[in-house]
Amino acid sequence: MSERLARLADVLVGYSTGVRPGDIVRIYGGRPTTPLARAVYRSVLRAGGFPTVELTVDETIEDLLAEGNDEQIGWVPPDLAWTLEHGDVMIVLDGPENTKHLSRVDPAKMAVRAKGREPYQAMYLERSNRGEFRWVLWGSPTNASAQDAGMSLEEFDALVHGAAFLDSDDPIAAWREFGEELERVGSFLETVEELRVVGEDTDLTFGVGGRTWIRADGHSNLPDGEVFTGPVEDSVEGTIRFTFPATIRGRVAEDVRLRFEDGEVVEASASTGGDFLREMVGMDDGARRAGEFAFGLNRAVTEYTGSLLLDEKIGGTVHLALGRSIPGTGGENGSALHWDMVCDLRQGGEVYADGQLVYRDGAFLESVLA
Amino acid sequence: MRDLRVEKLAELIAGYSLGLREGQVFRVDGEESALPLISAIYRAALRRGALAYTHTRAAGLDEILLAEGTEEQLGHISPAEVFQTEQLDAWATLWSSSNTRALTRADPARRQTHLAAHYRIVNRRWERISAGELAWCGTLFPTQAHAQDAEMSLTQYEDFVYGACHVREEDDPIAHWEAVSETLTARARQLESVRELRIVGPDTDLRVGVEGRPWIPSEGKHNMPDGEIFTSPLETVTQGGIYFAFPSIFQGQEVENVRLRFEDGRVVHAEATSGEDYLRSLIGTDSGAAVLGEVAFGLNYEIDRFTRDILFDEKIGGTMHVALGGGFDEALTQNKSDLHWDLICDLRQEGEVYADGELVWKAGRFVTEPAVERV
Repeated sequence: MSERLARLADVLVGYSTGVRPGDIVRIYGGRPTTPLARAVYRSVLRAGGFPTVELTVDETIEDLLAEGNDEQIGWVPPDLAWTLEHGDVMIVLDGPENTKHLSRVDPAKMAVRAKGREPYQAMYLERSNRGEFRWVLWGSPTNASAQDAGMSLEEFDALVHGAAFLDSDDPIAAWREFGEELERVGSFLETVEELRVVGEDTDLTFGVGGRTWIRADGHSNLPDGEVFTGPVEDSVEGTIRFTFPATIRGRVAEDVRLRFEDGEVVEASASTGGDFLREMVGMDDGARRAGEFAFGLNRAVTEYTGSLLLDEKIGGTVHLALGRSIPGTGGENGSALHWDMVCDLRQGGEVYADGQLVYRDGAFLESVLA
Repeated sequence: MRDLRVEKLAELIAGYSLGLREGQVFRVDGEESALPLISAIYRAALRRGALAYTHTRAAGLDEILLAEGTEEQLGHISPAEVFQTEQLDAWATLWSSSNTRALTRADPARRQTHLAAHYRIVNRRWERISAGELAWCGTLFPTQAHAQDAEMSLTQYEDFVYGACHVREEDDPIAHWEAVSETLTARARQLESVRELRIVGPDTDLRVGVEGRPWIPSEGKHNMPDGEIFTSPLETVTQGGIYFAFPSIFQGQEVENVRLRFEDGRVVHAEATSGEDYLRSLIGTDSGAAVLGEVAFGLNYEIDRFTRDILFDEKIGGTMHVALGGGFDEALTQNKSDLHWDLICDLRQEGEVYADGELVWKAGRFVTEPAVERV
């Protein structure tokens, strides 16, 4: 078993999910992650937990969507249901073999699947918020994700490991240190009532008063590095243009522009995928509201790769999600959708907090965080 | 390209073996190496309207657990697995090892702790199967490791496995297994009037009491391939000697040329040319381990050779097997044991079997056809 995998496994088990003796730990691994799944299994045993591993196979979901009826597609199998309701820890090792394998599937079928899973999503996020459930999503570099990033597997692997601080002498210490920086950003933002984001074709205002900003410091995602909240639902006003292609469920909308009035999307356009975008926005009532707003703060991630887990963490970007808000933020928006879209502010972007400039060209002003 | 035989095997298991229906909760289990068959069975289940899901295991986890786990971890039963064992209406297990000897060097006591925990799930599964609440079928997906044990190339081994399941391109699997079911059921009914079987072969002359014990046809519902009829013998009657020409394998360890002598139902002498200590330690597992829990006729004539896998070996057409250890409730056994070890006796050349003194089997075949009642 390679040192590198063992080191990563120890971060996921020892830091991200903090496995304790007696924890029931479910490991879900994409097929290309099998060696890592074994390393995580061993690391959980050493931490005193009770691990089980399930390999997830792209072909299975392709088969379900191709052959299944709505009841079958919307059904949540008892192993997953049990884990989300009763498990202590879930470690998901995402490792795509083909990031576009569901691109040709009827979006209506994808919606049936999402609707079936919505109550369980809500449940585990609530349990997580109450501290009863710990989970982490690791984005394993594969050829498929490297291809989306336009680089070799080796290059992409180096990027991901750098973004997760795995090449530092003590990755866990590095995450704790970075966590302190996120803490400063989060505590400042919790003093703010209203944010205004200004950039190219972007001028968006929304309330955040009374909301909690979550410091995403490697506990639920790896790589990680953002602070996020749920905007006050009916307060979002103005326009935003997203720099990077917005991807979800194997589909993409490029150059997305949204206009909000009283918290709802009233205009949605895209240079490609506009129909899909409008279909998603119309999925349910909550899908036309913003459920999340976040600052990406990981400066080890500098370029767009097409992997959302990385793109939303790029230092100097912000992202907004249409749909479901995340428990613990104070957000109250419910939806089967949660679609993150990223806006790059590194070239001339500005953010105003209650009318005062606090962020410019992709970074908070030093005076603000002092 | 999909192997048509895999698709046919999947249809056979979903349709004939499990009889999957709309709305049934169904799980198919297998190791990563069995993915083509896992996927094919999953698709067949979806087409039948079942609420189907897969459980795909990574190879190599048990080795890690046995090497590193604490006693508590080794004996732990996953509560999610317990929950699912109660939820399922139908279940398929695929065996497909990437190394059949991976656990051979593991500490036997630790392995026993792990197995005991595993058997609590298996035993509960059998309770639900017996109660008619759960359909279950186990089958094998051919891998290099199994082919290696069988001393064949993978291509040859695939031909062997799919032949034994009767799912070759030209086969009509369901018609075949329905006919097998009729024949085995008729044969089982015939044997139910028998009080004593006498098995005669090379170095073998064994008397086994079966009076009042139901014979059960294995007709492709719980195993694929299948093809045997079995019962649990009377516990205190077995008398005489038996020789097993094939290697006898238990948990990956082989014992060669086993000879057993029984008196009043119990093993009184056991010898082997290799692995004799292991043989004796298995017989000493507990009190029931020295008593037969099963006697059976292997009747699948498409299985014509020994392959070191009990799923096939115990069904070799023309053999009989007996098992030391625990018997079957449905065969009214009184014998309890943690051991159940099938040992195969080749009767294809010189074997004879007498039922209450009358010759019923010679050179690997019953001497008369059973009267099949057509429905």
